[in-house]
Amino acid sequence: MSFSDLVLSIADNKQMLGLRYAEWATRAPSLEADIAAAAMGLDDLGHSRVLYGCLEPLGSDPRGRDRESDPASLRALPYFDQPWTEWAQFVAANAILDTAFTAMIEACVGGSVDVLQQRLRKMLMEERYHFLHGRSWLKSGIDTGPRDEAWREAIEWFGPPDGETAAFHRDGRLSMGPAELLARIEERLGVRAPSVSVEWKAWDPIRRRGRAGAIDETTFAMLRGLEEKRFAQSSAAAKEA
Amino acid sequence: MTYKRVSGDALEYEVFARKTRLEPLHQVGSVVAPDDDLAMAYARATYDEERWCEMAIVRKEHVIELWQPGEA
Repeated sequence: MSFSDLVLSIADNKQMLGLRYAEWATRAPSLEADIAAAAMGLDDLGHSRVLYGCLEPLGSDPRGRDRESDPASLRALPYFDQPWTEWAQFVAANAILDTAFTAMIEACVGGSVDVLQQRLRKMLMEERYHFLHGRSWLKSGIDTGPRDEAWREAIEWFGPPDGETAAFHRDGRLSMGPAELLARIEERLGVRAPSVSVEWKAWDPIRRRGRAGAIDETTFAMLRGLEEKRFAQSSAAAKEA
Repeated sequence: MTYKRVSGDALEYEVFARKTRLEPLHQVGSVVAPDDDLAMAYARATYDEERWCEMAIVRKEHVIELWQPGEA
């Protein structure tokens, strides 16, 4: 796994987080939370664009042609495979996974790679409000299922204690390794992560996830613009009629 | 688990902002939230469409009124 693979994983996860946030822009428990969901969705989609733009300066872009045809080529976590059906899933992603991605961005900004130091800093300011939103809702109490799943996937995403993320920390490209990243989000949220046993041999180091799967077909089609084309065709036919 | 429209005890916050250092803060709106953290997140999300150089929130209950319309 290269350093670009890690940056692509952050980008893909932020893209999916943004999309899933946006799906709740009219379904959250209050009007303010609706607006926050929309705003955070826009933020994270914007962050993913910046991160994709960092791949070329990093020297290698791991994105292949399979991204046009295979949803499993995207490097998002299982948590984003399907649209969320419960507000608790939103809150757990907002509080735990968004904070995990932010911790990794902090590690990039604090690391030795110039392009990441320069381009990612502004994200940390915007993420402050995502964190306040997630932590406050988490404190109000959510079901343990989504919460524990989010913790598991955050720990898996940081990677094994002796893996590539730890190596990037040792060589200075990241200012934090897996243990420091986990400690960072525990400190920020003011809670300890549940005890999680990860089968690292079954872990996919490219997609940074412990189980197979992929995002739903509708979302994948939307990402490729196919949904837009479908509606464009029907509106053109309507004009002819 | 069910959620109330606003979790916990809802508080009202007034939102103030300004675009330049030369102008005073003025009220741009309000939000309802159960705590200060969420109120900050909501204020930023709701009123961030302009390029403010400063934004602040105040709990409505902390505003001391001298008089109201019709009382002066």
